[in-house]
Amino acid sequence: MRHLRFWFPVLALAVPLLLLVFLSGQFASAGVQRLVTEALIRLVFAVGLYIFVGNSGVVSFGHMAFAAIAAYATAWQTCCQMLKPITMSGLPAFLRDNTFPLLPAAITSVALAGLVAFLSGLILMRLSALGASISSLALLFILNVVYSNWESVTMGTSTIVGLPIYAKPWIVLGCAIAAIVIAYLFQVSRWGLALRATREDEVAAAACGISLYWTRLFAFTVSGLVAGLGGVLLAHFMGTVSITSFYLSLTFLIVAMLVVGGMRSLAGAVVGVTVISLVIDILRRAEAGLSIGSMQLSMPPGTQELILAGIMLLILIFRKDGIMGGREFQWRTLPDRGLSQGESSIGNQRAARSEFVSLEEPTAKRS
Amino acid sequence: MEKLPHQTLEAKDIHVVFGGLRALNGVNLTLSRGGILGLIGPNGAGKTTMVNVLSGFQRPNQGRVSLDGVDVSTLSPRKIAQAGIGRSFQSARLFRDMTVEENLTVAGLGIGLSKAAATEQARDILDWISYRNGYDRRCEALSYSDERRISIARALALQPSFALLDEPASGMNDRECEQLMEIIVNIPRRFGCGVMLIEHNMQVIMGVCERIHVLDGGKSLAEGTPEHVKKDPAVLRAYLGDKARANAVI
Repeated sequence: MRHLRFWFPVLALAVPLLLLVFLSGQFASAGVQRLVTEALIRLVFAVGLYIFVGNSGVVSFGHMAFAAIAAYATAWQTCCQMLKPITMSGLPAFLRDNTFPLLPAAITSVALAGLVAFLSGLILMRLSALGASISSLALLFILNVVYSNWESVTMGTSTIVGLPIYAKPWIVLGCAIAAIVIAYLFQVSRWGLALRATREDEVAAAACGISLYWTRLFAFTVSGLVAGLGGVLLAHFMGTVSITSFYLSLTFLIVAMLVVGGMRSLAGAVVGVTVISLVIDILRRAEAGLSIGSMQLSMPPGTQELILAGIMLLILIFRKDGIMGGREFQWRTLPDRGLSQGESSIGNQRAARSEFVSLEEPTAKRS
Repeated sequence: MEKLPHQTLEAKDIHVVFGGLRALNGVNLTLSRGGILGLIGPNGAGKTTMVNVLSGFQRPNQGRVSLDGVDVSTLSPRKIAQAGIGRSFQSARLFRDMTVEENLTVAGLGIGLSKAAATEQARDILDWISYRNGYDRRCEALSYSDERRISIARALALQPSFALLDEPASGMNDRECEQLMEIIVNIPRRFGCGVMLIEHNMQVIMGVCERIHVLDGGKSLAEGTPEHVKKDPAVLRAYLGDKARANAVI
């Protein structure tokens, strides 16, 4: 029972995903299965980003850089042995002339993403929260510029084709569940607890002996590893790699998913991906056009982005902690959040009154 | 730096200047392990600045803070916390979206305990302060007096040699103050540490402190037993002014 209680927040997320993949495999069309797989890859990205952003409170816009690094690394190792000497002649000989097995290629690619996250984190995590956020965006720009112009190695803005396509629904589901487990184990670990303390109050955390720098750096590295896993999956889902796939649109989509679901909980990340993926699919179909009898109705192009922005704004205005409100699915029944807030408010009122009395005491003694 | 045991925390000739304001002007202060020292003074006397200096959040412009003779003035707040100086804050500063137990566990992690040991220690301390509203209650849902008590408990979870408590009784009613006094009086015996207490509430200060250090305008005004300080003319003048001091009692 103790284990079940401990793992319940993970099970509550993993079991519905498992059912979704099973049911779509049994009853849905290939198109729907593809949508589910795509959503699960986004889930890996969102959970990867959550590990750092959710626990530290520092928004990172640079995680797609780690995804791109891993995607290109797996492409260099697994694609088109015949074409590589021509299209990517600048690659080191061992990469240019060989093709590596898929699993070792995936592992080394993810490890490379983690290494780059660690190295960049050594600098970024020394900055304040806002500084780190802006610098992470700069990191994404730098990587984009470098990869877009490194023709002999990345093919510039052209697309690398011919990657083995193995990111099928069950494999991607396995990776998504692995990402959820990693994120959960991190957040309940001593590192996760310490990092959440820095998120709540940096000064008080320092007074408790917690290192802001090392806790953030550790989370940033783990987060980069999971983002790298997402990059590998996307590469082997599409069968192609292009630097434009790992840039601002995907970055903001994943951030939007976290905002909508709630950045401060793992459940929020998963719920956000689910909701936004569903909305995207509905809007995509609406943009493509619906036939009602003899009428052909379609929404103007760009409606999808507008509605997504609208949803994000509404969430930020009316429910800034997202749909999940920063809570996980727990084994016990609903928490007494409403009651607690009421009590807190009463406590604060009393505090304000009492503080006034206390501050007045020295003066009172004068009379 | 080795954490335990430290016998004395000493501040020598501390000067802190904020722009044109001299917040502390040559303050000397010694805190012994096992003792309770009260730090009092009118608003703006420099009490919180002194706590910030001792806990590493404010680097003095001149002077040094030492633990058993070892200079810690240049250490970061984190290192000082690990070295054995725990503190609470005027505004509690709890980790509001975390549970009561987690708040104390974080402090245990900060001094290198395993998570299990830190959690066990957190529960021990919560039991000791007679907190009975649930280990897993979120701090945003706490009453004000519980916030103050948890703030003290978190400082104690650092297993400090010296605990610096910044206005722990502010906002408490008489009954809560009495409970708090009982806790503070027993801290040295239970945790083997020295306590420095900043407080405006004279009932609390006189009730628990063995010695009192009075600051005014950034300068040390007096130090001694509560009885001695109560009668000190300079202290009466600072608190009550020249005209009223003849008939006054703090």
